[in-house]
Amino acid sequence: MEPKYVSLEMRDYIVSMGAETVNWCMQCGLCTNLCPWRLVPGETSEKFNIRHMQRLGQMGMEGFEDEHILFACTTCSMCQSNCPRGVKIVDNVRAMRASIVGAGMAPANLRPILGSAHANGNPWSGPREKRTAWQQGLEVPTFGPDTEYFLFVCCHSCYDPRSTKVAQSIVKLLKAAGISFGVIGNEESCCGESMRKLGDEELFQKLAQSNIELFNAKGVKKIITTSPHCLWTFTQEYPELGGRWEVIHYTQVLAQCVQDGRLKLSKDGSKKVAFHDPCYLGRHSGVFDAPRQLLENAVDGGTVELSRSRELSLCCAGGGGRIWAEVPMGERFGELRVTDAIDKGAKVLATACPYCMNMLIDACNSLGKQEQLEIAELSELLAANL
Amino acid sequence: MSDVTNGHRSILVVGGGMSGLSAALEAAEAGLPVYIVEKEPYLGGRVARMNKYFPKLCPPSCGLEINFRRIKNNPLVRFFTMAEVTKISGVPGDFDVTVKLAPRYVNEKCTGCGVCAEAAETEISNPFDYGLSKVKAAYLPHEFAFPMRYVLAPQVIGTAEAEKIRAACPYGAVDLDMQEKTFDLKVGAVVWATGWKPYDASKIAYYGAGRFQNVISNVVMERLASFNGPTQGRIVRPSDGAAVQKVAFVQCAGSRDENHLPYCSGICCLASLKQATYVLDQNPEASVTIFYIDIRALGKYEDFYAKVQKDARVRFVKGKAGEISENAETGQVTVQVEDQETGSILREGFDLVVLATGMVPSTADDKVPAEVTYDENGFLLPAQPSAGIVPAGCVKRPVDVASSVQDATAAALKAIQAMVRR
Ligand SMILES: Cc1cc2nc3c(=O)[nH]c(=O)nc-3n(C[C@H](O)[C@H](O)[C@H](O)COP(=O)(O)OP(=O)(O)OC[C@H]3O[C@@H](n4cnc5c(N)ncnc54)[C@H](O)[C@@H]3O)c2cc1C
Ligand code: SF4
Ligand code: SF4
Repeated sequence: MEPKYVSLEMRDYIVSMGAETVNWCMQCGLCTNLCPWRLVPGETSEKFNIRHMQRLGQMGMEGFEDEHILFACTTCSMCQSNCPRGVKIVDNVRAMRASIVGAGMAPANLRPILGSAHANGNPWSGPREKRTAWQQGLEVPTFGPDTEYFLFVCCHSCYDPRSTKVAQSIVKLLKAAGISFGVIGNEESCCGESMRKLGDEELFQKLAQSNIELFNAKGVKKIITTSPHCLWTFTQEYPELGGRWEVIHYTQVLAQCVQDGRLKLSKDGSKKVAFHDPCYLGRHSGVFDAPRQLLENAVDGGTVELSRSRELSLCCAGGGGRIWAEVPMGERFGELRVTDAIDKGAKVLATACPYCMNMLIDACNSLGKQEQLEIAELSELLAANL
Repeated sequence: MSDVTNGHRSILVVGGGMSGLSAALEAAEAGLPVYIVEKEPYLGGRVARMNKYFPKLCPPSCGLEINFRRIKNNPLVRFFTMAEVTKISGVPGDFDVTVKLAPRYVNEKCTGCGVCAEAAETEISNPFDYGLSKVKAAYLPHEFAFPMRYVLAPQVIGTAEAEKIRAACPYGAVDLDMQEKTFDLKVGAVVWATGWKPYDASKIAYYGAGRFQNVISNVVMERLASFNGPTQGRIVRPSDGAAVQKVAFVQCAGSRDENHLPYCSGICCLASLKQATYVLDQNPEASVTIFYIDIRALGKYEDFYAKVQKDARVRFVKGKAGEISENAETGQVTVQVEDQETGSILREGFDLVVLATGMVPSTADDKVPAEVTYDENGFLLPAQPSAGIVPAGCVKRPVDVASSVQDATAAALKAIQAMVRR
């Protein structure tokens, strides 16, 4: 084996990039075992060991730069939520990535994504002026001084053809519930959550600053997000940069409206539905019940829990920038979700996050199970039952 | 008994476990009148539910019997079972205490003959065995219970069955009209020794306790290994009653974990080492694996650790166990862990996994009805605002029996001082 060198400068640099808790780790290995990578075979699973990666960070040692290691984490927080020492593992991952990406060494496959976010304000290579194209045929109110909620639509649902249905469904539901809401439009930029997780701190700061200035200039006080990722960064990362608003996810608003009787849903379909908890809605933001209440109100065929659900939910693999990763078939977490849903007798697997929807559809297709299981975003199921 | 009611000289001991019994006897043997108030229908506390206790591995009855004999022989000690303290007011040397007695429906005429249990039909879950077995609604809390007196479960009161039970007793000991009672005591000091309860292992969701039958906690292991337990001492798989060949112990199940108990429970390492000997004594062909972060066997207990370590049938794997999964068909449970010595991920099946869960102070939920101070985990702080309310034993710190007894002796002295110094 080649000798390895401890570098305290490197360690201090990683800590300064945000890995403040890396030295709290006692090397117990719980994180490595709870990590979803243990559930799949393959090269990444064999190489990526989060405890070991953090150990390298603690010692400032080389060896973590390998893409299969440094960029494997989906930031699902399964490890972090259970770490006995309260180590902020996801921050450590982010900081270790930033130490590489910040030095201009982003992996080749990520460059176009980061570049697009820089140039167009979205990572999907969509032109800025097309940000509102999804609204075609729908009358979407514009946010003004008298509007209560600013509806922030995730870039994915602005540009991805399948995902635009999510944005459209949410608009229909908010209208039906009589909520005062509006969008700002082409000046909005990507929330930057995934960019920061990929280690591009500079890009994140730029996106966040531009959003904060825009939202504040428009007089935004309350925000509804379509994606749990935007929800999380707006509530957890924006406040210290000057973005302080009341932010909630669309499932929370709608669940409240159903409870108040402002939103009436008819029960429909005889299909059994399973719900996949998005990591950023569930474990990261603590929202487990709102989507379930909505489902109960909209499906007739009954609901079923997946074997890993709520706090123990299994990640779709789309977080932490992994939505852009190429993963061989047989190694995709989503495949485990699809198989589990089918085993549980579900005909529909619903989720409440555009990334999760994207990843689960891919997994369902790669398994060739489209006939047996429909993947849906919760808003689509609800809007169909208005 | 006139001197016994002299409030200024008597001591109230709450909790009749090893700590409470020791504090009470030390004070009584120094000449002070003592009352013990115990919530359960028997004295002895958690130790009574154990198979053997380290370091000598003697049965709990030996230590307890001596204490019970000392109580019987000492007129200065009075005790109440099925009793709780609901109010404490006053100052050292002059406390007013209210005690609530739950009805036992069996009076002191009971000889422990057990005819009532024969007459009873209803079965209730047996709290002594953590619900692993059933007992009749007229039951003796356990074989060596002190006081040796039956109890009637409140569930049958008011039924024809209760009448039948009453009629069956040849000594007229069943009293169905017993009511809850409260009375006041005047005492000079209070020793609070309400002990501990096991951490609820099902809260550690990724270990599957409560979902997988063959994942049990260490307190359940004590019952499985006990002759007076649900399996008459045979250590078997709860799923099918089969004898066990491969047993795993998962250390720090909840302890030293900020999401559960941030502190080290102190005795779980020793408890697992001890329980490994239960398994191997019963089945010399068996094997035991202990998954640990580090083994904490302090002071003289190091020798016990060294002894178990020498046994080739016991394997120690450094690494905090991760997920435990179950094969629903065979009942086998698989532990996944990263072996910190080799860095490799192990996945190994076992017949039985024992979670070494820690001790939670009873005062985490069940508060003292007086102004007292707790630490952030609910343990009573050693120094209390009133010098006359003195904590003792595991309600203060998770410790072994020997340390509990020592602490209780110190507590008795402090209680005496609090009255004398007035
Ligand atoms: C799995 C396991 C194995 C162990 N094995 C050993 C061993 O081998 N050797 C060893 O030295 N130690 C062992 N211990 C530690 C041992 O159990 C404790 O040291 C001992 O029980 C402490 O006694 P205690 O009186 O402080 O508490 P307890 O034994 O908990 O006694 C407290 C008493 O107070 C009563 N009580 C509770 N609340 C109230 C209330 N509100 N009012 C009135 N009464 C109340 C309870 O019913 C109980 O009788 C083990 C612990 C565990 C978890
Ligand atoms: S679970 Fe926490 S303490 Fe344990 S190895 Fe992982 S980061 Fe370190
Ligand atoms: S956040 Fe999720 S994917 Fe990342 S190391 Fe932790 S458990 Fe694994």
